[in-house]
Amino acid sequence: MNPARIHAVWPPLVFGVSFLLLWELIVYVNEIKPYLLPAPSLIATNFGTDLALMFETASYTATTALMGLVIGSILGILVALLAQRLGIVRKLVTPLALALATVPIIALTPILNNLFDITTRTPRVVVTSIIVFFPVFVNVSRGLLNVAPVQLELMRSLAATPRTVLRVLRVPNSVPFLFTGLKVAAPLAVIAALVAEYFGGPQVGLGSRIASAAANTAYGRAWAYVVASIVTGLIFYFAVLAAERATVPWVGRTANTRG
Amino acid sequence: MNQRFAKGLVSAAWGLAAVGILIVLWELYKWVGETTNIPLPANYDDASMPHIWVILGGFFEPEVRGSDTAVWQTVAAGAGRSLLIAVGGFVIGVSIGLLLAILMERSQLAERSLLPYVIASQTVPLIALAPLVVGIGNRIKIGEFQWTQTQSVMLIAAYLAFFPISVGALRGLKAPTAAHLELMRSYAAKPNAILWKLRFPSSIPYLIPALKVSAAAAIVGTVVAEISTGARGGVGRLIVEYAREATSQPGKVYVAVFGAALLGLIGAGLVTLIDVIATRNLPREGVA
Amino acid sequence: MSAVDAVAAKSIWKVFNPGKANEVTALEDVDLKVAAGEFVSLIGPSGCGKSTLLRVIADLTEPTKGEIQVAGKSAHEARLEQRYGIAFQQAALFDWRTVIRNIELPMELKGWDKSKRETRAKELLELVQLPDFANHRPWELSGGMQQRVAIARALALDPSLLLMDEPFGALDEMTRERMQNELLAIRQATGKSVIFVTHSIPEAVYLSDTVVVMSPRPGRITRRIAVSFGTRNEELRESPEFFEHVTQVREALRAR
Repeated sequence: MNPARIHAVWPPLVFGVSFLLLWELIVYVNEIKPYLLPAPSLIATNFGTDLALMFETASYTATTALMGLVIGSILGILVALLAQRLGIVRKLVTPLALALATVPIIALTPILNNLFDITTRTPRVVVTSIIVFFPVFVNVSRGLLNVAPVQLELMRSLAATPRTVLRVLRVPNSVPFLFTGLKVAAPLAVIAALVAEYFGGPQVGLGSRIASAAANTAYGRAWAYVVASIVTGLIFYFAVLAAERATVPWVGRTANTRG
Repeated sequence: MNQRFAKGLVSAAWGLAAVGILIVLWELYKWVGETTNIPLPANYDDASMPHIWVILGGFFEPEVRGSDTAVWQTVAAGAGRSLLIAVGGFVIGVSIGLLLAILMERSQLAERSLLPYVIASQTVPLIALAPLVVGIGNRIKIGEFQWTQTQSVMLIAAYLAFFPISVGALRGLKAPTAAHLELMRSYAAKPNAILWKLRFPSSIPYLIPALKVSAAAAIVGTVVAEISTGARGGVGRLIVEYAREATSQPGKVYVAVFGAALLGLIGAGLVTLIDVIATRNLPREGVA
Repeated sequence: MSAVDAVAAKSIWKVFNPGKANEVTALEDVDLKVAAGEFVSLIGPSGCGKSTLLRVIADLTEPTKGEIQVAGKSAHEARLEQRYGIAFQQAALFDWRTVIRNIELPMELKGWDKSKRETRAKELLELVQLPDFANHRPWELSGGMQQRVAIARALALDPSLLLMDEPFGALDEMTRERMQNELLAIRQATGKSVIFVTHSIPEAVYLSDTVVVMSPRPGRITRRIAVSFGTRNEELRESPEFFEHVTQVREALRAR
């Protein structure tokens, strides 16, 4: 690791470790009962002993999140393309997307539980897809629309048809915007998949297990599941980040801003 | 301003048209399900997918058989209650977020230690803590003071609202250009003067979008927390309760979801009001 | 050289927002002839309509009134048939394509097959002196190199006319002078007609056979100054005859 890296890493590392130590110390000195606040060591022990269970539980929720992320993103991209080509679709969908962005979509879960089979994963995937759809749609639309005027002039000078402009210019131009949307959507997908489990249905994922462990006063285990949720969320986020670095390495140093 | 207003009206009209199309599709789907043998992915029976007029009728059904209270009244009261909790959580969260942003702007060390966690926390499902916060809250009793479920809900809302605002505010406080800062330095301005005369005003364009995200987060947090705490009276709890009554009164749950949606729109409306007041002296487009 | 003029524009008018409060006459009764193989610069202060005139010739915008022929065809036909290549102040390269694939773009849209495209693009990379950068990405290149790629792209289909809208405007002075020499060399090698928009007087004088001076509000052509030097090289830049022409253009710009 180079010196600059170490310089960037040590303050948060020191903060994180001292935070955990302080937490441990307060719990130990004040003899705080685990139901109030379990010590980090207890959470870690629970996490370690139930590692297989943690993995199994997290993979259920992660699968829901991934399915929702894929379905919602594909729909978001398709509708954005449609809206770019057809003005009427754009006019219909845009105000709806703006309004729904402010609404707790997760509240649809009980209705979806009735519409689809509550004993399956389906309603959870559906609500996750809906939540993922909007940031992807909004950002991809922006990418298809926000093309540098000079590049449009270039395409016109090359006598390109609107379809060619879409294929050669607008679609590639929207890829970095897609990743901006996915960076918002990926953590949201995990949150949605997890929260959807609070509304009933199969008791197998992280959300269900946190709730049932808390109800059964197994607080150490409940907190261990929280740690598993955090790890899952981070994996999703960093996976998108890695894909972005690999796919659009020019983001942040575009040729067109340097003239 | 008037032109902007007219544009908004046109956009709203298109939005209503879109809702109309969705309603037609809803009824069409139900009709196809009931009259043909085409296999469909979602249930179309009257309990799962009631007719639009049943949903509308749901607003005026009595809360329970023979009661004088209509469903819409209960939902309105519940949404009002949830809104108050969300606003409380929002105010607490925003205050803490702003303080943290000022701290991080002042101290390099604080920024470098805390910021990675603040950013990471936006990507992790913190709402997973909701059932645990409730479990802890139920057991806190200090003298006369009993921690209630309402306070747990508000705490979760504040928790979710605080992260976007701290990141947005920090970015805003750091927005002034080197030229602006050098100008202030040439006046020998004290750090407090720089904060109030320069940094805070220049952060407003960054604060507004962050406030919008925070407001939405506070409302989602409230609704979800109400579901997991079972805090009575709030709109989140009503959604869960009414969903169970779908077989007898299928319209009710939709009324409650409508209430939650309205809550989100009201939240966004309140922030837009703050936006209009705070940015009335700034250029319309672009960050100054 | 054929007898057909590269560009013949007759009484061109361009009015923006006609009939509205913010009506602007960008071009008023402009005539412009560019002979085949001629290098013409359009010079004038901001808002004199020089870029608009170039865009009208390129059929990127339509004139309000007037007639334009490019290589004996209407401007519209000339664009559809790709009779000209164009370069802008911004290189306008696609970040997601490599350098060589950026140059191939016009050929791709014409439906050329891959091997033919590659052969031609490599020729052009030699011409603009970037043979080793075929597989680099635009954002890995300096501003001057990006502009050379843009010029190569403009030459891709071997058009007889090159339109350039302040292509060196964003470059530093040293890079700019080097690019001017390279442009002259490219023109020498290919015999293209060029219309070159600039607001640098020495640049216009150094490059052109004819400097067309324009004035704003409304945009009109006020002078045409013929420039004929034997050889154009670094020594010319410091010669008295060069300064004479520079002075002539400067006075024409001042006269309005």
